[in-house]
Amino acid sequence: MALLEVRSIEKHFGPTKVLKDISFSLEEGRALAIIGSSGSGKTTLLRCLNFLETPDRGSITVRGETLFDAGDRASFSEEAIRQKRLHFGLVFQSFNLFPQYTALENVVLAGKLREKDRTQWPTLEKQGMELLDRMGLADRSGHYPHQLSGGQQQRVAIARALALHPDILCFDEPTSALDPELTGEVLKVIRSLADQDTTMIIVTHEMAFARDVADEVIFMDGGLIVEQGPARQVIETPQEERTRQFLSRY
Amino acid sequence: MGVFSVVIGALNQGFLQTLKLFSVTLLGSIPLGLLICFGSMNRWMPFHRLSAADAPRGIVGRLCRILSRLRPVSLLTRFFVWIIRGTPLMLQLIIIYYGPGVVMGHSPWPGGETGRFLAAAIMFVINYACYFSEIYRGGIQGVPVGQQEAGLVLGMTKRQIFFKVTLLQMVKRILPPMSNEVITLVKDTSLARIITFQEVIWAGQAFMKGSHGYSGLLWPLFFTGVYYLVFSGVITLLLGKLEKKLDYFR
Repeated sequence: MALLEVRSIEKHFGPTKVLKDISFSLEEGRALAIIGSSGSGKTTLLRCLNFLETPDRGSITVRGETLFDAGDRASFSEEAIRQKRLHFGLVFQSFNLFPQYTALENVVLAGKLREKDRTQWPTLEKQGMELLDRMGLADRSGHYPHQLSGGQQQRVAIARALALHPDILCFDEPTSALDPELTGEVLKVIRSLADQDTTMIIVTHEMAFARDVADEVIFMDGGLIVEQGPARQVIETPQEERTRQFLSRY
Repeated sequence: MGVFSVVIGALNQGFLQTLKLFSVTLLGSIPLGLLICFGSMNRWMPFHRLSAADAPRGIVGRLCRILSRLRPVSLLTRFFVWIIRGTPLMLQLIIIYYGPGVVMGHSPWPGGETGRFLAAAIMFVINYACYFSEIYRGGIQGVPVGQQEAGLVLGMTKRQIFFKVTLLQMVKRILPPMSNEVITLVKDTSLARIITFQEVIWAGQAFMKGSHGYSGLLWPLFFTGVYYLVFSGVITLLLGKLEKKLDYFR
């Protein structure tokens, strides 16, 4: 059974349909890249998976458990959503680190708030340090976000998302706010996560990266999935005219 | 005893009352302002279902649509803020102190200075809370949405997000406009003179008509300015220190 099942997701903002009948599934340990031009709905899709937007139709199932069903209003409640959204982690385009906390504090804050037993906190901090170490930031744990480069900030944000052990880690254009020199260090981290079989959904404009790191690719246009398949196949030999047109610019 | 030390003694006594009103106002209005701020930002729409597509046409339909967008808590709070900010504090002091007596035939306030202080303090707290609430609102709205979203995807509750993420960033933002208001409050306390609250201006003015065996003295009134100057100087230094303290993040 697939780890993630997304069925017939629809979302409109007022009269504008942003997502039209989006369905796909993702196996555990696989990396999925979502590509497409701006306004194609890929970020909205990611936000729906993380419950920052409520889909108007469709359902989201993780490990056989239905997290969201547009037909079942009970799955809408704030408390229900708060528990369920932890199946997903999200790394934002603009990092969104908490500026008043150090890198380590950013990583462990949410965990500490969930753990009432304070004697467990040193364990959380140890895990936080290990995560920062994996991101190559062990020596930056005491730095505040404004003292870090964009690439370093994004790596802290990745550690922060990993700290809660999500089933699926989502990236919303993780390198779009970075200059080319810093893009590499973030992509390297994501690549190593893929090598460790982290289940990931990556919205990206880095085509070469999507081809090399992702297992599967979805190409979206106008709120629809136009083409999906193995990464290399979709990017190197796209079947649909619209996909070819989009990829020809890269 | 020389005239100077007599005057200083009387002014000190008056300034003690000024300080009392000043500190009680700050202590009361800072939290009350937050409450009012939450009220004015409250998004509760009890009739939102009326906007459904099957609403009747014509006048009734239009009424339904207006009603559906109604946010009663926010509307009432903003109406209250408009009244308080739209009328002079001096007039409010007169109304709260003398008004009940005029309407009910007897004053509910305790006699003497206690009653005058109580009435003045309540009115000052309400008045300043309304101004603070608008500053808070600006401060909260100035914190990027991404901060709240980052908290949400990390499974934090709305309360945790406000207290652990938003609050300190808001405090940092509102410190300069708050300093302005606090300095204004130092001097606004003199308005309580209108209900013969015996603060420093009252004490200085008393030497014109006759006080402590002296009359026709104008300089004690002038001299009260020194008290305000020194005190607002101290406040400025303290707030500057606080601002420095929050310099560690951006």
